[in-house]
Amino acid sequence: MTSYLLRRLLASVLILLGASFIVYILIAYSGDPLQEYRASNLPNRAQLMEARSNLLNLDVPPVLRYFLWLGGAVKCVVPFAQCDLGSSIQGQPVTAALSSAIPSTLQLVTGAALLAITIGIAVGIVTALRQYSALDYSVTFIAFLFFSLPVFWVAVLLKEFGAIGFNDFLADPRFTTRTIVLVSLISGVVWTVILSGSWARRAITFAAAAVVTGGIMYYLSASDWFAYPGIGPEVLVVLGAGVAVAVTAIIAGLQNRRALYASLSMVVVGVVMMTVAAPLLNSVSLGLLLLLGVLAVGVGYLTGHLFGGYDPAQSRKAAGLTSFIVAVLVALDRVMQAWPTYYNNGRVHGRPIATIGSATPNLSGDFWVHAADKYGHLVLPTFALLLISLASYTRYSRSSMLEVMEQDYVRTARAKGLSERVVVVRHAFRNALIPLATVVAFDIGQLIGGAVITENVFSFKGMGTLFITGIKNVDPNPVMGVFVIVGITAVTFNLLADLAYSALDPRVRVRA
Amino acid sequence: MSAVAALVGASALALAACSNSPANTPSDSASGSSSSSSSGPTGTVTVAEVNTFFSFNPNTSNGNVDINSKISLATSSNFWYIDDKLKVQKDTSFGTYTVDSEDPLTVTYTINDGVVWSDGKPVDNSDLLLAWAVESGYFNTKDHSFDYAGDTGTLGLTSFPKLGDDGRSITLTYSKPAADWEVSYSLQGMPPAHVVAEKAGLADSAALVDLMKGEPAGSDNKTSDQMAKVMDFWNTGFDSTTLPSDPSLYLSDGPFIVSDVQENQSVTMTVNDKYVGDHQPKVSEIIMRSIADSTSQVQALQNGEIDVAAPQSSADTLQALQGLTGVNVYTGYQLAYDHIDLTFNNGGPFDPATYGGDAKKAALVREAFLKTVPRQAILQAVVIPQKPDAEILNSQIFVPAQDGYAESVKNNGSDAFPGEPDIEGAKKLLQEAGVTSPTVSILYKPSNPNRVDDFTLISQSATKAGFKIKDDGDEKWGSRLGDGSYDSTIFGWINSGVGVSGVPQIFSTDGGGNFNGYSNSKVDSLASELLVTLDQSKQVSLEQQIDALVWGDYYGLPLYQSPGVVAVADRMKGVDTFNSNQNGVWWNTWDWSVSNG
Repeated sequence: MTSYLLRRLLASVLILLGASFIVYILIAYSGDPLQEYRASNLPNRAQLMEARSNLLNLDVPPVLRYFLWLGGAVKCVVPFAQCDLGSSIQGQPVTAALSSAIPSTLQLVTGAALLAITIGIAVGIVTALRQYSALDYSVTFIAFLFFSLPVFWVAVLLKEFGAIGFNDFLADPRFTTRTIVLVSLISGVVWTVILSGSWARRAITFAAAAVVTGGIMYYLSASDWFAYPGIGPEVLVVLGAGVAVAVTAIIAGLQNRRALYASLSMVVVGVVMMTVAAPLLNSVSLGLLLLLGVLAVGVGYLTGHLFGGYDPAQSRKAAGLTSFIVAVLVALDRVMQAWPTYYNNGRVHGRPIATIGSATPNLSGDFWVHAADKYGHLVLPTFALLLISLASYTRYSRSSMLEVMEQDYVRTARAKGLSERVVVVRHAFRNALIPLATVVAFDIGQLIGGAVITENVFSFKGMGTLFITGIKNVDPNPVMGVFVIVGITAVTFNLLADLAYSALDPRVRVRA
Repeated sequence: MSAVAALVGASALALAACSNSPANTPSDSASGSSSSSSSGPTGTVTVAEVNTFFSFNPNTSNGNVDINSKISLATSSNFWYIDDKLKVQKDTSFGTYTVDSEDPLTVTYTINDGVVWSDGKPVDNSDLLLAWAVESGYFNTKDHSFDYAGDTGTLGLTSFPKLGDDGRSITLTYSKPAADWEVSYSLQGMPPAHVVAEKAGLADSAALVDLMKGEPAGSDNKTSDQMAKVMDFWNTGFDSTTLPSDPSLYLSDGPFIVSDVQENQSVTMTVNDKYVGDHQPKVSEIIMRSIADSTSQVQALQNGEIDVAAPQSSADTLQALQGLTGVNVYTGYQLAYDHIDLTFNNGGPFDPATYGGDAKKAALVREAFLKTVPRQAILQAVVIPQKPDAEILNSQIFVPAQDGYAESVKNNGSDAFPGEPDIEGAKKLLQEAGVTSPTVSILYKPSNPNRVDDFTLISQSATKAGFKIKDDGDEKWGSRLGDGSYDSTIFGWINSGVGVSGVPQIFSTDGGGNFNGYSNSKVDSLASELLVTLDQSKQVSLEQQIDALVWGDYYGLPLYQSPGVVAVADRMKGVDTFNSNQNGVWWNTWDWSVSNG
């Protein structure tokens, strides 16, 4: 194991060295950093060219210049040495530029990545279980449609309708009767496709979904919900109960009553916390909020344990997960409470969904107003990234799940009389996830590199922007900085993926 | 079962119902710009810019990027500023300057009493002396120098200045008359001398003045250690992509002061309450947001996130902007212009040496070639979609916004080259020269679609007249300029707007921007005369004479000025033209105002 690791690490270092050399040379020969002065008619043109030449060591040939750069870069891994990745063409140290670009990129891509993985896998599994159904075909079609759309175009459309259009709508947040009827009918069709069944069942599904959607939309419209959104204890009870039932059904099966009661009791705790402990949330920080989230999971876990049942582990998981989701809903409600304050803030002036940047400059307000601001800024780019990355996850998880469901042991499991839930969740699902570990690891490596186009369109100043600006200016150092970070992450996560693979799948062994 | 699932699903999807009633919503009138006091500056203006802010000293060659200068326009004062008509306007509420004598040229600058930095310290002769030291390059040596972005040529003619007894005036004496003296000495964006002094380890600004008095002039001498510290701090000490924790690094003596910087995203400026001049602001806050993408600027303007959009001009952008409601769109020209130059000294078709020194013959070939340039068609293809009322540029020296343009165009012989090509005339000229189908190579940048349009149209037209055109599109065109490897080149120049030192730079025999071997002794002597002419109307007349000589020599042709566009939300007043120089909309921040918050 140790020698395997050492060999892998050594190979990685060599790959990084070789790749960095190639990248450096490519950038150095990609253009002329003095271009802007060449044709200049400024009287001090020669002096400006000399200054830039000195800054970027342009008198040294690129091959040798690479080693100058490498000399500084190596210091980043030598202890006690001053890390030196060079300066950008504007004289800013690349290390400083990276330290501001990385958080910005992470902010943009983390949410999108988590959502894409969760939704993508869930949808992939469901479509695999209903292979060749109308749902399967529809999802495949939609996933590939979004996958093939250029992100800059999606972004422009999202801004047009999701930001500008929605903000206009918020000025008078009422649906017209026509909209309600139309959306209700669409919702009916969608649910009919998802649930399918006999024609009679489809008719009932269609009618029920249409009526419920219409009702909800009418209520939202009539009660000015979009101006004063919120969840409230009553709805939390309904939503929470739904969550508890769904979570229990998947994790433990509804026949495990103890698990169900444990989950349901977490909903009660959640509602009580929402009404009684609400003031606690008024002056909260991000750290405290995360702590409360962990606490919620812990309480759920403990409650599940106390309820016990024939399989306490199932109760613990079901209650823990329910508790977490309910806690998220409570936090969401609190953000919604802050929405009107945010909406009416002088700097937002009634246009809460933003098209650019990661925050409203100089926004004053408490944690929740800033949370609303983050939501207003991140919702569109996250959605854009989500749309284009959903396809690969659904396809991978679908094919992986299909393959697993064909395996002999699944047939054996069915043959010995296990319920379909146990077969799917316990036997098939886990094994289907193993190949996805590689895909996820690859993707995380790429995500750090930033989403160049998305960042540009939404004016996020992350790694992608740093990279593209460097290329435009024929400025090797920032590009190399991005390369170093992305290269190291990619190599590391590949290694981790391999190790994880062997940990997850007993058939794969890492041998020295 | 499925109906129940649909019910649960639909309700889960909608996150329904309501506990958040209008009653429990706190009103928020205190925050942001909605504070409504009856007098004084009110409201926020948000301006989109392409670049990101990174230095509080825009005068270093590193920091000299448009956005840093724009921020400094709002946060510093100067004896003069340049308005949107490219005229130098004096700001006598900051200080005054008078020409004491024209021979030798002596100018005294005096800062008004009571003008202070935002930390309360006066703006005094240490600031005047430091600005002079930077802009003259007086102390610069081989190893240590002020890394000044501008040209030290003009102030380099001055000797060590005399400081006034009032402690806030300086007298500069030039060794010979300098045409650009007025725009060469500037306090625009200059960091405070007392901060530079303290950061370089000196006691105060008086110590800095003493240091400079004792320091020998540069060139061969060695810079003292203390002076080197001053230079180093001036060069890099004010670079920061964030708001420094030390407020002395972003002091202001202008109407606004920076109050917040979101790295690479935005810069916020609020009113500088220590400012005493005439440029009193009408808005309480200006926010600059960096948005590189043009479409994003348009949509941000539409969404009310910004009030001013100044994206890169393109036909699509203009169309999108004109489609918005509640927005005023102004198009105009930038100072950049494209031109085609012919090479005089490479043994090619335009070089007299090719014809055994027959200058007349070479001139005929040049004239013939220029006759074929379809300037109107090029304008139609490149500029008209972005600026429907655009016209071809008819002067090698002036742009239409400048005073001398109209008269110069009348007399410089440009009417011999109207927008439409004269193929027959060109053929006749070639015949007269006795040259058949000369080969002309044209150097241009192939990744610039405008230049490709220029080249294609010229090439088609010139071929009709019997020229053989060699396509010499090269990404490395910049480094080939002046090496004689091409007969003709299409590229862009930037008119300085004010000042005349750019003229000899291009048209003098030994000018640094003379890439095509153009040499005319009359132009040379007029250009040297121009550099020492103080009277502005005389300067214009000299420039007009040079313009006519250059046209008469069939030097090349100016093609068109690059168009520019700026779009302003209805709620904002104070921006009502496209300002052509690099200051963009920022030249008059004190005139900006907004209705409703």
